[in-house]
Amino acid sequence: MKIQMILGRAFLLAIICTMMCFGSCKTEQIVPSQEMPKDIGGSWKVIKATRNGTDITNLVDFSKFQVSFNDGKYTLINKLPFLVNQDGTYSLDNPQYPFQIVFNANGAQPIPTAFNYPIVNGVRQLSLTFSPGCPNNTYIYTLEKATK
Amino acid sequence: MRIPLHIKGEKLWKVCAFIILCIILACCGEEIASVEQPSTAKVGSTVPITVNINIPTAGDGGPDYLVFGFLVPKGWQTSKNTTITYSGPRGNGNMTLIPNTTLAKNGGGLNWPDLMKKTFGIGANLIDDMEWVAYQSDKSFTHGGNETITGKLNIQIKVGADNNNTLVKLGYCITDTGNGFTSNEFGTYYSVKLMADCFELTGGTGDMVDFCNPQLTTVNPPKSLDNDFVTLTFDGTVTSTQLSGAQNVYLCATAYTSDGKTVTVCEQTDKTKMVQLPAGSNRYQITFWPKSFFGATDAQTIVKMEYFITSANGATKIGYGNTSSPFVYTFKCS
Repeated sequence: MKIQMILGRAFLLAIICTMMCFGSCKTEQIVPSQEMPKDIGGSWKVIKATRNGTDITNLVDFSKFQVSFNDGKYTLINKLPFLVNQDGTYSLDNPQYPFQIVFNANGAQPIPTAFNYPIVNGVRQLSLTFSPGCPNNTYIYTLEKATK
Repeated sequence: MRIPLHIKGEKLWKVCAFIILCIILACCGEEIASVEQPSTAKVGSTVPITVNINIPTAGDGGPDYLVFGFLVPKGWQTSKNTTITYSGPRGNGNMTLIPNTTLAKNGGGLNWPDLMKKTFGIGANLIDDMEWVAYQSDKSFTHGGNETITGKLNIQIKVGADNNNTLVKLGYCITDTGNGFTSNEFGTYYSVKLMADCFELTGGTGDMVDFCNPQLTTVNPPKSLDNDFVTLTFDGTVTSTQLSGAQNVYLCATAYTSDGKTVTVCEQTDKTKMVQLPAGSNRYQITFWPKSFFGATDAQTIVKMEYFITSANGATKIGYGNTSSPFVYTFKCS
């Protein structure tokens, strides 16, 4: 009788411990942080330019050239060879995780190019690769937000 | 009288083994023995070239594929216009193009054409509009057998796809997929033959492209349109001219547009000033956007440019070959 009572209490204790053990576990609520849409709005200036891998930044006056993005439209200021020759609209293939930017010049075929948007020394840069003349001549413009 | 030798047997064995190993490993590189190529050809003709090769197989290894590189002008579109076969005691077969996605052995992440260009440059050519086209044998071979395989690479190339008369120094290199362009204390595992003589292509209707001889002026990129940035260089070291030693020289150019118009920019201002780089080098350079430089409209395309190099007061003009005829540059991509 005494043994039965001890076994019963032990069984009860085991059940309580098991319940406490399971009860202490709870599902961690992971709230995924929302990736901000990439905002390229504003005016951008060229800080580095290469032609077929050769740096031509100091061979050409890039100081007056700017690309201005605003509300899905872009404007070229003081034109230089670029992806497009005319103003128009632009779009990103994915606002949060863009891999491609498409320039849609007024009245011309859309021109896509790879979208590189790194942060360098704490400053956002925009890197665009294109061939405005012969297809074999490749240019890379690295742009930074213009201060004014 | 006996002379005591103080070389222990164990050391002697090791030294001998090392020397034998070095001899075995030092002899395994492919070699271009000679190249048989004509000195001239007509644009559009098919030119036979034979590259005689030796492949020592004293060391064990492989199987590897033979890799062959061919240095040619980009305008010839060699990958589309060339067939290469090989023949030798171990059999005959075809050399096939190596895709650009294939990384070269010991190439530091480069593909074969890029590694060839990095290793051998563009030979003795003066215009960087050349490319290495890479091929590999369709069958592999082992390095065993302690023999030297003597073989031939038989090239059939249709030359001058760009229709340009050309002077160029061709180049050839070989290695195998097991070694790449490796050279170390055991030996050199590749061979390169950069031709010293110019191969001349005639009968074309395009421009004369001279890769061999120094030019008074060059345009970079060699192939461009009016919407490219072009860098025009005047090299006063090529020959003595009336502008030799000038502090400043200027560009005087006429553009010909697709709608039959001409636009001349012939002034001695900052717009046309050619910068001497470095100072005192007698080499002058200007980089410009032709469309803007000549003020062409969006509807106009500049097809050709004729130009002179002038003195600061415009009185002295230097033209093609140091004559009074203008230099001519055609805007085109092929």
